[in-house]
Amino acid sequence: MTRQLHLGLGLLLWLCLGVGGSGTARGAEKLIIEAALDRQIVEPVLTAFATENPQIDLDYRDRSTLEVDHRARDSESPPDVVISSAMPWQLALSNDGMAQPLDAPEADQWSAWAKWRNEVFGFTFEPVVMAYRLELASHMPPPETHRDLLDLLTHYRQWLDGRVVSYSPRESGVGYTLFQQDARYTPRAWDLIAAMGAANVDLEATTQRMLEGLSDGRYWLGYNLLGSYAMVWAQSHPDIIVQVPNDYSLVMMRMAFVHRDAPHPAAARRFVSFLLSQRGQHILAGQTPLFSVRDDVVGPYTAQRLRDQVGDHLYPIPINATLLAFVDALRRQAFLRRWDRELQILEPSEQ
Amino acid sequence: MPPRTSLKRRLTLWLVAIVAGLGTLLLIEAYTSARKAADRAMDGQLEAASLTIAESLQWPEGNPTLEMPASALQILATRWQERVFYWLQADNGTTITQNADLPITGAMRAEARQEPVYLDARYDGQPIRLSGREVDSAGWDTQEPVQLWVGHTRHGRDLLARELFRKSATRFAAMVLITAALVGIAMHTMLAPLRRLRQALRERRAEENSPLMLDVPREMQELVETLNRLFADQRHHRDALLRFIADASHQLKTPLAGLQSTSELALTSKEPGVWHQALVTVHDSAGRTSRLAGQMLSLTRLQHLGPLHERQPLALDRLMREITVDWADRQDSRDHDLGLAIEAPAPVWVEGESWALRELLNNLIDNAFRYTPPGSEITLALRGDEAWVTLAIEDDGPGVDAESLDRLTRPFERGHRQDTHGSGLGLAIADSIAGRHGSRLNVSNRTPRGLRICLTLPRCQPPEESAG
Repeated sequence: MTRQLHLGLGLLLWLCLGVGGSGTARGAEKLIIEAALDRQIVEPVLTAFATENPQIDLDYRDRSTLEVDHRARDSESPPDVVISSAMPWQLALSNDGMAQPLDAPEADQWSAWAKWRNEVFGFTFEPVVMAYRLELASHMPPPETHRDLLDLLTHYRQWLDGRVVSYSPRESGVGYTLFQQDARYTPRAWDLIAAMGAANVDLEATTQRMLEGLSDGRYWLGYNLLGSYAMVWAQSHPDIIVQVPNDYSLVMMRMAFVHRDAPHPAAARRFVSFLLSQRGQHILAGQTPLFSVRDDVVGPYTAQRLRDQVGDHLYPIPINATLLAFVDALRRQAFLRRWDRELQILEPSEQ
Repeated sequence: MPPRTSLKRRLTLWLVAIVAGLGTLLLIEAYTSARKAADRAMDGQLEAASLTIAESLQWPEGNPTLEMPASALQILATRWQERVFYWLQADNGTTITQNADLPITGAMRAEARQEPVYLDARYDGQPIRLSGREVDSAGWDTQEPVQLWVGHTRHGRDLLARELFRKSATRFAAMVLITAALVGIAMHTMLAPLRRLRQALRERRAEENSPLMLDVPREMQELVETLNRLFADQRHHRDALLRFIADASHQLKTPLAGLQSTSELALTSKEPGVWHQALVTVHDSAGRTSRLAGQMLSLTRLQHLGPLHERQPLALDRLMREITVDWADRQDSRDHDLGLAIEAPAPVWVEGESWALRELLNNLIDNAFRYTPPGSEITLALRGDEAWVTLAIEDDGPGVDAESLDRLTRPFERGHRQDTHGSGLGLAIADSIAGRHGSRLNVSNRTPRGLRICLTLPRCQPPEESAG
C-alpha cells in the first residue's frame, strides 16, 4: 500500500508517532517542532538531522496550518521551531514578534527573496498545480493554462458538473493564500471562481483529500493542488495527470522560524540551520518532493530543475509585508464574502 | 628646582578641556539631529502608507470597511523589513481593523484630530514610531470620521541615524586632529620669541648690562623693557658703587699723603720742636682719617643691614630735647645759636630704632654746624598733626646752589664746599637711616637764605606702660 499522506490536519496519531517516532535518537536535549508539513514527506530530513545530532530528542508534531498558528501563539508552552505552508500567517507571527532572528552563516547566505527579517525562511519551492483524471482527456482537451480551465468549465460544464475540486479558502490557510494571490495577479481569477461555482465545485481542506477524491473517481479535475504532494501521488497513481499551468504557476514556500520563547533555542537554531544548509537541502532535493531553493544543490527536486522543465513562468508567492494584508481580518472577511458571491453569481446548473 | 608649570602643557590642557566640553555638546547635538533627520526621512514612508490605507477606506453599507492594501504594508515595512502595525477605529470607538493593540491614548487621538501626527512610542517592549491621522470619508448613510494609525519598529531609523551620526563624529574627529596640528604649529611659532629671549639672556656675560635689542611681539615687548629697566638699575647701582669706591680711595689718599709729607719734612730736621709739631699734625690728621673710616664703615653697614629688628615706639620729642641739650653743652656749639621748636602735640611717639635716630639727629646737627658760618641760627623743629610728624633742621646759612640740592645726600658730596673738615658722609648716613624708617631726606633752600633738611615719619600708638 502507498504511504499515507496528511496535510493541514492535526492528526493526533502523528503526534503520538512523532513523540516516539522512528529514526529519532533519544538524547538529553529536546526539540519541539510544530509543523504543517507531513511527517512522512519530510522524514529523510528528520532522520539525517537526528543522525547528526544524536543528543537531540526530536519531538515533531504534524498539524494543520491554522493549528500550528494557534500553537505558536500559545505563550504557555511555546514550541522551538514553527514550520508552516500558510505563508501570511507565518509572516504575521514574525511581525507580532514571535520569531527570533537566526544568527547563522546559512541564514545570512540565504537568498533575500526567500526570507524575512532574517527570522522566517522559505526553505521549499513547491509549485501549485492542476491535476486531472486520465478519462477527462477522452472527453475534452486537457487544460494547460488557467484560460483553458475557464474554457473547459464554460463549454464542458455538463461533464464537469460536481467533478471539480479545489482548496477551501475558509478551511485552509494555504487555499486562502493561493486564491488571494490568484486574484491579486488578475481579476479574471474571479471569472474562474464563478465558473467553478457554476460547476458546483467541491472544496476540500487538504491536497491529500483532493488527490484521494481524484483517485476514487469522485473528481475529474482539481485546481490549486500542492505540486509536491500531487507529483508523489501521481507516481503511484498512473490515472492521475499533474499539470503545472503553462501561463503562470504559483510557487508556495514552507516557512520555518525559531520561536522567540523557544525552550531549547540552541537545538532550534541548529535545526533551522540544518534545513537551510547544503546537506539539508540536498536531502530535500533528493529524497523528498519539496524542491530545494538553493542553486548549489543538485537533485531531482530543485527549483532550478523545475524552472528548466516548466519555463520561467513560476511565480513564488513573495515573502514580504504584503502577505500581512491577507491575514487582516477585514480583508479576509471581504474576500470570503466576495468568494461566496462569485460562487453563486452564475446560474448554477441543475443538481 | 624643576619648573612647576609648562606653557605648552597648560595650552594643551586648555585645548583638551575646550575640545572635550565642546565636543560633548556637539556630539549630543549631532546625535539628536541625526535621529531627527532619520525620522524626517522615514516619516515619509509612514505618511505614504497611511494615505494609501486611507484611500482604500470605504463606506459601502453605513459601516466603514477596508480592503487592506498590500502595498501600504510593504511601504510601511521599508527595505529594512520593519515590523508593521496598523490600527483603525471609527470616532464612535468601534474598532474597524487592527493587527496590534497599539498604545494609543485619548490625548494622542485628540492631537491626531487636528492634523497628522508623528510620535515615538513603545509597543511589545520595543520602541516604535507611530503616525496618526483622521480620515473624513463621505458615505450615503453615515459620515463618521475614522482615526487611522500606522507604525513600525525603529530598526531602519536607528541604522540611518547611526550612519549619519558616524559621519558627523568622523568629521568632528578630523576637525579636532587638524586643530590640534594647527595649534601645535602655532604654539611652536608663538613660543619662538620666548626661546630667542632665553637664548639672548643665556649668552650674556655676568657683567654685561647693556639693554637687550630683540625683535619680539608687542606682548613680549613689555617683558623686554622691564628686563632692560632692571639692567639699567643694575648699571646705575654698579656705577654708584664704583664711584663710592673711587671717592673713598681718594678721600683716604689725601690725608695719607699729608701724613707722608709731614713725616718726611720732620725727618729732615734734627730739631725735637719740629718733630713735636709734626707729631701733633700727624695725630690730628690720623684722628680725622680714623673718623672718616668709621663713618664709611657705618654707611656700608647701614646699607647692608637686615630688616629692622629693634624697632619700638619712642618719644621723638624727648629724644630731640635730650640731644639738643647734649650739643648745647659741647665746645663746638659755642659759635652757633642752636634752638629747639616742638610744634606738634607732645609726646610724639614714632616707631624706630633708638640708636639710628640718635645717629641721624647727631649727623644733621653736626652737618649744620660745619657748613654754616659762626653766629648762624640753627633750629631743630618737630611739626605735624595726629598722624604724621615732620622732623626738620633749618639754618640761615648760605644754602646751596639749586643743582646741588639733589646730590647732597650722596656720599662725599659737599655742595662745592672745600673749607671744612667734614667727611662728606653725614647726610648720606642720615638718608640711609631715613630710608630704614620708610622716609627720605628732603633738602631745600629757604627764603631768603639758609637750608632746610626734613623727613616725615608716621606717628604710632604710645606703648602700654606709658599710656597711663
